[in-house]
Amino acid sequence: MNSALEKQLNLLDYALASLWRRRLKNSSVLVVFTAVIFLVASFHLVTTALTETAGAVLRQTPEIVIQKMSAGRQEAIPVAYGEQLSRLFGIKKIVPRVWGYYFDEPFQANYTVLGVDPAAMPMGEHLVQTLLAGAWPGSAANQAVVGGAIRELLALSVAPPTVEDDFPDHSLFALHRPDRSLKLLSTVGVFRDETALLTADLIAMSLADARDLFQIPADLATDLCVYVHNPAEITNLARKIAAILPDTRVLTRPQIEQTYRVVFGWRSGFAAVCLLAALAAFVILAWDKASGLSPEERREIAILKILGWETADLLLVRCWEALIVALLAFVAGCTLAWLHVVFFEAALFRPVLVGWSVIHPPFALTPRIEVKDLLLLFVLTVLPYLAATVIPTWRGAVVPAEDALNG
Amino acid sequence: MSMNAQLVIEGVGKVYRVDEQTLAAVREVSLTVKRGEMVAVIGHSGSGKTTLLSMIGGIARPDSGRVLFNGRDIHTMNSDQLADYRCDKVGFMFQFASLLPMLTARENLLLPAAFGRSRGKPDGRAEQKAAELLALVGLGDRLAAYPAQLSGGQQRRVAIARAFMNDPELILADEPTGDLDEETEQDILRIFREYNRQGTTFVVVTHNRQLAASQDNPRVVRMKQGLLQEEIGPA
Repeated sequence: MNSALEKQLNLLDYALASLWRRRLKNSSVLVVFTAVIFLVASFHLVTTALTETAGAVLRQTPEIVIQKMSAGRQEAIPVAYGEQLSRLFGIKKIVPRVWGYYFDEPFQANYTVLGVDPAAMPMGEHLVQTLLAGAWPGSAANQAVVGGAIRELLALSVAPPTVEDDFPDHSLFALHRPDRSLKLLSTVGVFRDETALLTADLIAMSLADARDLFQIPADLATDLCVYVHNPAEITNLARKIAAILPDTRVLTRPQIEQTYRVVFGWRSGFAAVCLLAALAAFVILAWDKASGLSPEERREIAILKILGWETADLLLVRCWEALIVALLAFVAGCTLAWLHVVFFEAALFRPVLVGWSVIHPPFALTPRIEVKDLLLLFVLTVLPYLAATVIPTWRGAVVPAEDALNG
Repeated sequence: MSMNAQLVIEGVGKVYRVDEQTLAAVREVSLTVKRGEMVAVIGHSGSGKTTLLSMIGGIARPDSGRVLFNGRDIHTMNSDQLADYRCDKVGFMFQFASLLPMLTARENLLLPAAFGRSRGKPDGRAEQKAAELLALVGLGDRLAAYPAQLSGGQQRRVAIARAFMNDPELILADEPTGDLDEETEQDILRIFREYNRQGTTFVVVTHNRQLAASQDNPRVVRMKQGLLQEEIGPA
């Protein structure tokens, strides 16, 4: 075997024996370090998942949304407002939309009801890509697409039911109109999990059904969605629209994206500062512990030097020790973080990043780990620990054997 | 310098500074040791014996003078060369047992072998040699014992065995039999004699005149207040 490799194996042997001898201390370091990495990795996974999910869903939204304001309060907008904008160059299409929040008292859950007409939307045919199963509501009335969480909450199946599942029809559910009459809806599709951040509590239906549910006249809508030819002109067009329709609020997609970024940004920034402070405290603790080499450790260094170990050998042993602890903590921390986010829905960070209120219904996060994320975590956690343990050892190892022996 | 001289110490001095005070531990000591010679350095505590040994072993650096081993001044070597010198040429026996507590007796013996001339993993030969050396010092049945499971005398014997692991040319022993019983002491001295006959050079620090006198034709030198005061000659 190559002698350099054999030497490394010797050093590794020695490092393992050394770790085992100080197993109590090293186990404590491992547990604390794993906890720190777990927190940092969980947080990073949740933030990434939320940001990416929001970004992916927002890319499907209209470029401009117009809402009618009355004394600072939003109210239904006449569909005819769209006609006043027809002379504006650059607008591809204006589509009315009806939406509103629906509180389902028996389940203590809030749903978001959205009525759109995919056929009228420029990219309407692409909406089917957001579905995990089924189809977007067609021309037939009383059809709906629901978020995964609602499907689970109401135990819905997607129509058409199989023969065995024919009765009772589990695709059906009912919502109350303002007059307390029931509107029966058939589930024809379910949104994909990847879009859960915005669709978990969503019930999408045709414009007509939404109007029927909320009892909104056919000439009114909740807002008007404006699609443009050139995304670079969004801001200009929004300004012109606001000038033409002074009693409206004009929201652009970049503004909404920015709002999400700010919301996640300050929350993640707040939590990141707390976590980085914990990480820094751990590194300082490791540094403090390692820099104050104990008499026993100084004696060990002296004996090894007298037996012919070079400074580089001593450093390599400490490198191996630190690397073993750090890698074990890294793998354990990242694995626990993944389990925490996927199976426990990031219970520790969800209130900070998603909101402090109780979310009904709950939704699942779908984190994605990339090599660059792992590298980032590695750089943030493992490298500071290696530096904090190896540099003090180097300082101890370059001391002449005599001085080390005399303490 | 004699053609046969293996170790030449020329006007070596070492001063320790404690606060504002200076203490000359070794003063202008010169000594020539031939290959295969056995030199006993005797003297009272604090006479500079251990400091002299440390400078010969490259552990302490002299403030003046030179220490030549096979014609080369060891204190002009860089730290890696000095490490090689300590690993390959010299076997140390300290005043204390100097074993690493997390390693077994056998592993403590393999420690210098792992980084010896081959700088490779201890092979079967090294393992066998470690077992033989431990058997030689009467610990053939304690290969897997940790230092904490051995008595002080047994630990000392493991450390003595370790000094021979890399077949060093020079053994530097500081009070090697200090806390051994008489019978074990005689066993150790027999081992020293055997290796000495095979050509290993010994510089043994002791304040035990009996030990110095018990060697086969040892050369005995006395240290007093940092000076190599007299050379007593073969006992």
